[in-house]
Amino acid sequence: MVVRTKATRGRNRAIFIRKFPKNKKENMAASTTSSFPTSQEGVATSSQQNLDAITDDDFEYVDEEFVLSHSAEQQAQPEPMIPDLFKQPSLVKDDLITATSQLQDQTVEHCLPFLTGEDGPLDLNDYGLSKLNREKHIKFLKQSLGPLPGRFVAVDASRPWYLYWCLSGLTMMGEDVSSYRDSVIETARTMQNESGGFGGGHGQTSHLATTYAVILAIALVGGEEAYDVIDKKAMWKWLCSLKQPDGGFQVCVGGEEDIRGAYIAAVIITLLDLPLDLTPESPAYDGRSNLLTGLAEYVRSCQTFEGGISSQPNNEAHGAYAFCALACLAILDNPRRIIPSYLDVPRLVSWLSYRQYAPEGGFSGRTNKLVDGCYSHWAGGCFPLIEACLSPSGPGSEKNKAATGLAAAPESLYSREGLIRYILCCCQDQTKRGGLRDKPYKMSDPYHTNYVLSGLSSAQHQWDLDSDPLPLPNGDTTPSLAAVGADSVWNVFPYIDENDQIYEDSDRVRPIHPAYAIPQKNVNAIRAYFQGRSGFASTLGGE
Amino acid sequence: MRHWLLTSFVTLFVSFCNPMTANQCVQQGPRSALRPHHFPLSNHLITMPPKGKAATKPKATETPATTTSNPTTTNTTRQTASQPSEPTTVLERSQQRYEKTRPFEAARQQKGLSKLFKEDQKGWICDQLLHLTNRLPAASRSSLLGPKASKEIWWTVNGTNSIVRGLKHKPEPYTTWGTDRNGHDVGSYTIERFDERFRKRIALTALQVSSRVFRENVEREKRGFVDARSGREIIVTEREIDEEKVRRSKMAVLKKDLYGAITGRLAESVEWEDVVPIPHEEPEGALAAITYPAEYAEAMSYLRAVMTTKEYSPRCLRLTEHIIAMNPAHYTVWLYRAANIFALGISIPDEIEWLNEVALANLKNYQIWHHRHLLVEHYYPTISSDPEALAQFAKQERDFLIAILSEDTKNYHVWSYRSWLVGKLGMWEDEEELKSIEKMIDEDVRNNSAWSHRFVLVFSNPKYATPGKAATEKDEKVPQELVDREVKYAQSKAFLAPQNQSPWNYMRGVLVKGGQPLASVQGFGEEFVNKLGEGEEEEEVKSTHALDLLAEIYAEKKDNEKADLCLRRLAEKWDKIRGGYWEWRRKCLTQSETEKAPGEQVEEAEEGSAAV
Repeated sequence: MVVRTKATRGRNRAIFIRKFPKNKKENMAASTTSSFPTSQEGVATSSQQNLDAITDDDFEYVDEEFVLSHSAEQQAQPEPMIPDLFKQPSLVKDDLITATSQLQDQTVEHCLPFLTGEDGPLDLNDYGLSKLNREKHIKFLKQSLGPLPGRFVAVDASRPWYLYWCLSGLTMMGEDVSSYRDSVIETARTMQNESGGFGGGHGQTSHLATTYAVILAIALVGGEEAYDVIDKKAMWKWLCSLKQPDGGFQVCVGGEEDIRGAYIAAVIITLLDLPLDLTPESPAYDGRSNLLTGLAEYVRSCQTFEGGISSQPNNEAHGAYAFCALACLAILDNPRRIIPSYLDVPRLVSWLSYRQYAPEGGFSGRTNKLVDGCYSHWAGGCFPLIEACLSPSGPGSEKNKAATGLAAAPESLYSREGLIRYILCCCQDQTKRGGLRDKPYKMSDPYHTNYVLSGLSSAQHQWDLDSDPLPLPNGDTTPSLAAVGADSVWNVFPYIDENDQIYEDSDRVRPIHPAYAIPQKNVNAIRAYFQGRSGFASTLGGE
Repeated sequence: MRHWLLTSFVTLFVSFCNPMTANQCVQQGPRSALRPHHFPLSNHLITMPPKGKAATKPKATETPATTTSNPTTTNTTRQTASQPSEPTTVLERSQQRYEKTRPFEAARQQKGLSKLFKEDQKGWICDQLLHLTNRLPAASRSSLLGPKASKEIWWTVNGTNSIVRGLKHKPEPYTTWGTDRNGHDVGSYTIERFDERFRKRIALTALQVSSRVFRENVEREKRGFVDARSGREIIVTEREIDEEKVRRSKMAVLKKDLYGAITGRLAESVEWEDVVPIPHEEPEGALAAITYPAEYAEAMSYLRAVMTTKEYSPRCLRLTEHIIAMNPAHYTVWLYRAANIFALGISIPDEIEWLNEVALANLKNYQIWHHRHLLVEHYYPTISSDPEALAQFAKQERDFLIAILSEDTKNYHVWSYRSWLVGKLGMWEDEEELKSIEKMIDEDVRNNSAWSHRFVLVFSNPKYATPGKAATEKDEKVPQELVDREVKYAQSKAFLAPQNQSPWNYMRGVLVKGGQPLASVQGFGEEFVNKLGEGEEEEEVKSTHALDLLAEIYAEKKDNEKADLCLRRLAEKWDKIRGGYWEWRRKCLTQSETEKAPGEQVEEAEEGSAAV
């Protein structure tokens, strides 16, 4: 690895100018030699030669002189290998300026110095990338788990998310989070409601989002004692009360119905092995339907004309909801069968691909919106599922009619290099604070830290779906009685670039399950535990 | 009986420790006088005046114990020499008192038992024994040894008047007086400051007593008690309530001053009198625990209480407003607020008016929009039969949405609400709605949220949209003129900024919806691409989206070679970031040569799923 010093980079030129105002010109040589001892000779000789070339402004001359001589000496070292794609504004650009284009131009302007290595840390590798600053990010996440000051009242309803984001981020960076087991247990207990589910804190209404976060946090720390915190029977009843006649789920009793609800319900039902029957109290109870009835149809109703997925039918396509939709379907059935059955795959792939921007390399959430680190997961995390859906079935399996005509995905459907560059160059907070962020000049937070790392993880790994769709009974085209997709076998490999790998091997973070967004072994452990206690054996007790 | 036993025991014990008898001990006194610098303490105690004479002296103010330590005239010089300086703090004063009232113990602590004179040792042992009885459990203490008996023992052993009522423990910093609200030792207060604090405590106690009387009266009034003297029912007057309010604010000030206890607005409020708050319950070491500001913590504890009892009342409404002001992202409070509104029959327009202000102050908040959704759901049936009222309400809502979208043009939650509202109030045919969207697109042709809303407005109109059709699916019922109009609109906007993807996506969506071949816009697409594949210098692409669309058009027309060229040029030069995607599209082309074109395939897949 070649370590370059900042001296060759543009920003330092400016600093240098400020250091040497006009009247101190005479002392220039002396002071430069003291601050840059390595370039001592170069400065002394070349400045002499070029004295004749003094034009109108000796101020600029001094600066140029130094930089020229200095960089000449450094040219022995190779330039970092950064493709032009990530160094220049995009090739096709319109003249018309609107609020959107102004923001976009500003973002590119902010990102480019980080992408080319002018801004950011000193140590860059041959490819112009900085290292993943694990130590700082780990410290940041650990601090975010600690007591938070009073101004965090604004996230009082999102505290379970803090558990998941931090624990998940730490897990991906290789930390053992089982030491948090006891505190997760204690914290989760106060958040659970007798009526089922977890709220944002003591006395807060149960919400699917907070329940999802708590269950994943419990799965991350693992252990029977942690699993036992969950009141499975109450959870099932509560989920039934959220199920709507149109197939979707409300996020809380009296709350909105959207695609987050669909995804989270699928996650909870399969992780906890809940029975699918509906209670008679459920708004969706009709004697025939179950918890999964119409769920895939609800997902389908959220695909928009652009091909992306919206939060609710008739809204704008949005990256976060695309992940929810695909992951929900992947849990319901084998992605090879269910995704093409319910979604317009060519449109979806097109829309997803357009989420990636150049030169930034990162993903945006919507058409004509800005890149944001968190879509590394929401949009980037869709690709393992899309690639699985396009991958050919094994020999002898039931041929998937819907997916014929679509070629298998190439090595990579999106630019992994672009995403990794954006993450390592633009999303790391290189100050003492640590953590990962939306984009340069934004504050890092646990949300972005986790989802940027999730995106990095999916860019660094390749997932192979090792299950073929099982034949469905009665000639059905979709499963309605079981979430068989949850049983899909996934194999994960480090993604090996056919060209050079642009990041250090030590910067590879751990893989997470493409649908559950936590490591596979945690998914398997919690499912095995609850499957081993079918029904409500654990909670029914003497009933 | 017990008294006698104890006396003999003490005497025996003392004799055991010290071969001298009690009387001998008294006689030993004069010997000590020979050593002026090391007088046994017993000395001045021996010469203490009898208790009865103390009455002639001015009574000491602080504690009765001081009376016993008054120096006698004979010992004046010695006493003044050893007397400590005037105390500056409360702790010092107490420590001096301790030394005065427990001279033997004080001397032992200073020098150690072995260094004391024998008389003093004896005095110390006697002192310990007598105080020991005080250390016994309270119940047995009084019956064990009264003050009189103690004195008798003292007299028997030491032959002097006793010091029975000395301070039990040596006053220590912090432990004796405790800390004030700033964590400072109250013992370190100056006497004046301490007195000041003491006065405040008295004032607080007085207020608390009055407040208790008031609360009891309120309780009596509730139960319909009759005043025994006047024979009238007890009524708490407005004046009394006002007085109580003043009292409570005074109490809150005093409590904060004295103990740092922050009595929130609610605890001191008469209105919340009957509610027992449920404090935040969380174990030590809970993760991501927030150090709640006192006001928020208090409000939440009252919220938990009223939510548990399912109370719906104006005060609950005010409480939700109070909490929302501190944390607008609190979904629980919003839902509870909605429940209150509906239970109390609060006017929905009033609530919406209040909500408008909150929404403008919290642009990124989305609980607000679900709340609004609930309000409109509730309000709609009351106006649904009156078209005029409905139109009026729709206009009002739109005006507000326009105002808020001008602040934050792509706010996802606002647009979601707007899209839902169009369906709820049936604003499909409302020309103003389409106009206002057009205006937004004119302001920023890249506002994709506005484009999306337009698509819904035009193509989800239940008048012709087939229910259950997917957005990317052909709908035969959509009128042709609408499709033509929208294609034209999109094209006119695409000219303004060809690389803006919104109109391209829109146009493609319209064509698919209308079931038109993409080839119908081939000419339009080709306007943005010149001399493709005719050399690096010659080739001109004004819009990669045009190139993308052309690739599909050529594929649709089975001109795979041309389609492949478009995709190749996108991958090689014009849109390299999507290299993988373009490669996949090219693979799809070759695959479909043996099977079918992707477009047809998709339709079939959609039909298959529609049957499910």
